[in-house]
Amino acid sequence: MLPEFASVIPESKENALAYLSSLENAKIFAGGTDLLVKMRRGESCRHIVDITKIHDMKDVSEHDGLITIGAVSTHNEISVNSLINAQAPSLTRACGLVGSPAIRNMGTIGGNLVNASPAADSLAPLLIHDTMVVLESKNGVRKMKLEDFILAPYKTAIQPYELLTFIEIKGLPGYREGYKRVTKRATWAISRLSIAWAIQEKDGLYKDIKLAIGSCTPMPFRPRRIEESLKGLAKNEETIQAAVEEIIYEIKRISGIRPSFAYKIPVVKALLEEVLKG
Amino acid sequence: MKKIDFTLNGKPTLIEVEDNETLLQTLRERLDIKSIKEGCSIGECGACTVLIDNEPHYACLTLASKASGHDVKTVEFLGDAKLLHPLQEAFITYGAVQCGYCTPGMLLSAYSLLLKNQHPTDPDIKEAISGNLCRCTGYIQIVEAIRNAAGICKCNS
Amino acid sequence: MIGANKERVDVIDKVLGRPIFAGDTKRKGSLFAVVYRSPRPHAWIRHINVGLAVAQPGIVKIISATDIPGKNRFGAIKKDQPCLAENRVRYVGEPILVIVGETEDIARKATGFVKIDFEDIEPIHDPFMAEKSATLLHDSGNLLSHRKVIKGDVEKGFAQSDVIIDHSYSTTWLDHGFMETEAGIGYLDDAGRVVITSSTQNIHYKMKEISRVLGIPEDRVRVIQATTGGGFGGKLDVTVELFLALAVYYTKKPVLMRFSREESFLSNTKRHPLYIEYKTGAKKDGTIQAVKVNIIGDTGPYISYGETVCLRAAIHATGPYEIPNVHADSRMFYTNNPVCGAMRGFGVPQLAFAHESQMDEIARVINMDPLDIRMKNGLRKGSLTATSQVLNHSVGFIETLRKIEPFWRARKKNSQTSGFGIGCMFYGCGNTGISNPSRCHLRLTEEGKIAFHSGVCEIGQGSDTILLQILLEALKIDEKNVVLIRGDTDTSTDVGSTSASRQTYISGRAVYEAASSCRSYLKKSGFYHGRTLIDIFSEAHTEQNMIFDGYFDPPTSQLNIETSAGTPYATYAFATHMTEIEIDEKTGVCLVKKVYAAHDVGKAVNPRLVKGQVYGGVAMGIGLALMEEFVPGKSESLDNYYMPTSMDMPDIEVLIVEDEEPTGPFGAKGVGEPALIPQAASIMNAIHDAEGIRPFQLPCHIERLKKLIEDKKK
Repeated sequence: MLPEFASVIPESKENALAYLSSLENAKIFAGGTDLLVKMRRGESCRHIVDITKIHDMKDVSEHDGLITIGAVSTHNEISVNSLINAQAPSLTRACGLVGSPAIRNMGTIGGNLVNASPAADSLAPLLIHDTMVVLESKNGVRKMKLEDFILAPYKTAIQPYELLTFIEIKGLPGYREGYKRVTKRATWAISRLSIAWAIQEKDGLYKDIKLAIGSCTPMPFRPRRIEESLKGLAKNEETIQAAVEEIIYEIKRISGIRPSFAYKIPVVKALLEEVLKG
Repeated sequence: MKKIDFTLNGKPTLIEVEDNETLLQTLRERLDIKSIKEGCSIGECGACTVLIDNEPHYACLTLASKASGHDVKTVEFLGDAKLLHPLQEAFITYGAVQCGYCTPGMLLSAYSLLLKNQHPTDPDIKEAISGNLCRCTGYIQIVEAIRNAAGICKCNS
Repeated sequence: MIGANKERVDVIDKVLGRPIFAGDTKRKGSLFAVVYRSPRPHAWIRHINVGLAVAQPGIVKIISATDIPGKNRFGAIKKDQPCLAENRVRYVGEPILVIVGETEDIARKATGFVKIDFEDIEPIHDPFMAEKSATLLHDSGNLLSHRKVIKGDVEKGFAQSDVIIDHSYSTTWLDHGFMETEAGIGYLDDAGRVVITSSTQNIHYKMKEISRVLGIPEDRVRVIQATTGGGFGGKLDVTVELFLALAVYYTKKPVLMRFSREESFLSNTKRHPLYIEYKTGAKKDGTIQAVKVNIIGDTGPYISYGETVCLRAAIHATGPYEIPNVHADSRMFYTNNPVCGAMRGFGVPQLAFAHESQMDEIARVINMDPLDIRMKNGLRKGSLTATSQVLNHSVGFIETLRKIEPFWRARKKNSQTSGFGIGCMFYGCGNTGISNPSRCHLRLTEEGKIAFHSGVCEIGQGSDTILLQILLEALKIDEKNVVLIRGDTDTSTDVGSTSASRQTYISGRAVYEAASSCRSYLKKSGFYHGRTLIDIFSEAHTEQNMIFDGYFDPPTSQLNIETSAGTPYATYAFATHMTEIEIDEKTGVCLVKKVYAAHDVGKAVNPRLVKGQVYGGVAMGIGLALMEEFVPGKSESLDNYYMPTSMDMPDIEVLIVEDEEPTGPFGAKGVGEPALIPQAASIMNAIHDAEGIRPFQLPCHIERLKKLIEDKKK
């Protein structure tokens, strides 16, 4: 039995925003795969604003190398979108791995972001695409970087009256890109570790590197300093080893030494080496 | 309360539901469709799988109000005692049923697959049912049944 | 009919989604009952205050231990477990109250208004602490059971050995994970009898428990098995039945009960964690001289099937090998951990992990092929088991090895991290060293049918179909002449539980016996010459008794209390699994690629159903080997207890061996548990083959495997 609440189903963003600013103790509801589970485990609210009928929040479009993805796009919809696959295949892959087929039909990218689990699959790919999160309210629109949006595990900068309407990602055509994760069974499991990468090489040199590691730090970690330092360096054993060591050092610095690191560090090392080698 | 208007197994259906009612409750308790099972209530077992617009969803995590305007299918849509669907025939022939609890959800996931892909590979089939747990069969005969039904079935929307 | 892939009798209903499982039942005016459970592992109950709870609108009755009209003790083997806790709780989840409300919502919400004052007692965390602690869980102490299997002289055996391998192995709790959680409905019928329909693996046992706890005669209780969505041993103990009976007794109304998955996880019995110290001695030529095993088990605070697991573990400790000198010590301790009970294999899957790892270790040290060493030591006709039982017949173990042999000899690693492993097992079908008969009857009816009255609980494994096939074959009759009347204590006699892989063998033989006497009668009456059953009935019912009883109790013997020498089982199943895996050294992920599973089932009454059991057993074995780990307090539901999905499954080839069991129906014995038992063991051996590392703890999940790989590198 779910706790009692009243639901409203706005068909436009404006209506949704109006509800959010006027209804007491309201929660946004899209796929239900996080919220309803939480409710079964004790959370409650007075109102639910079901945003899945707001059709323009499902759009995926491109403009000047920037891809806009509606927050109500489901993981399945993203995983079969050819535009995203051409310019952000790590996101395609990650969304195609979330949960199970039914979960992918129900869960949305907006929901994944707002839930902000450190293990959320979409986060690492979004990080390497310099995602901007668009937050709207009755008072206006604000955009913020994904890394600023996620404050802590399960905590974001979203305000109670705000709606995450879109995300904007920078396409990376021509990069060697991918997403890999480690789970305790073949599928339908929380990622124990994940890596998203987009790498450009030329003539044996690294031109541009984007990496994000998930489930190791309170939020997925993008080692920007190390990415920068690799630019122009030769792709060889020493460079790779040195870069990996630095990334590990950073991870440990951010998270402290955690019991899970006995497993995660050697695995991250091996995966990073594999990814950098290509 | 909300009035919801949806198609259930091909029939237009109009009922009133509570705001906090799940589709699982609506189907099992209001509409007496017991083929949909509750296995965990948190979307981790697949026993409550239903098709919404021919795509698998977990009814335990779907608010009833969401069904409004959509097409909902339960296993009853596939066939009846007089005329079984090729998938149901195949499940019988290939031993894909043991305790039967996961069977309705499994059949719906398979049906959804065959609507999209008439020539699924075994990996396609395994992925299509990867959101339906079965503790009895080890999935082998289920995959076999679906593989064989794909050949026979001319599933279209 | 025997050997035919007959369609399941219930399959059409099941593919239509028609069967009514216990939680699907409805009765007008039903109330709903929930259990209030202890949040503490070990505590005195100082005060129970239900005043606020009882006052909640819609609450009809709250039942506590003091309300129990009969005996407040139940148990599968001994009656040691309170139905509702009296003054002490011994595990998190122990039932204290039954709360009956007008709706499920009302009943569940009321649990929040119960106030109980507990005084904590030091909890016993594990069996090692149990052994030493001054805190006693029961007046009898913390040791539930100590069983030994002694044959020959192990010290002499070790002295004669060229090679000795000594290792410790451990396993942990597992949940049955049946897809249908526990549920039932109870009501009073027109005659005022208590009727309980539930998801269950036995009916007469539950009827007896209800009668004891309510203090009413057995004939005032009726238990009906609803279509049951899996059991695996978890629905042998009473789950909802006693609570429902009490609720019905007091409210006089129909009462429904259905466990959430969380409740099932909390309350259901678990697989026993076993700590196994295993010492094997062998000669250079591979003949095993001696096996010394010390098993320590954590049974939780109540007996359930703890004694059985204790004994089975000891009896099966050697594995399917003839070993001249054996000393197995098996001890089960009480703790304040979850109650452990029957789970597919009763301790033998855990022992198989140990004995199969040991065989491979010996083989490695003496440089012998793992298949060859098993051929050399394998049980065969004429062998003496560890309990000094001579195996006279139906010993198909070597044949299972031979079936695997061509694949084993032809194996080729296609990568550096591929591995192949063999796992073998033997398993006694039937309850251990005690009488466990099955009774059924056939009845010629007025409509001209043979009614088959069966108390056998079908839990998905196909028993209804198998028994029907045996009946049709033995009677040489058409299916349309038979009507199956099943799963109801009013219409059947006690067949014993659906457990210990015993129904095909024991109930099957009972059916065969009933059919034999029925067949003689039909023959005499001219049925096989064309007379109809209706004619036979109309003629006969004025003179003859139309009921044909079937009875079978496998010939076992009581075991010697010191050495366990004797005949614990009348027949054994044997199996060999060969598994191919591939390891990702970077991540510790073990991919199971292919399994060959050879099983001696005596006679495959329905090969397709046999395969279904083996496939399901392999899946469970993969879970036991690589991913399933119930962590008390942490594992709450299926989001953090991982069972295999379709994508975790390898290709599986089942090879059926039929070494007929003379006492079985048409030679059949059992396969339900054997299907699982050797699988995890074969995966562990494959891991060793791939990486040269030996896992000593199950599950060998990604983190443990990665650690073993990393440790080896250093």
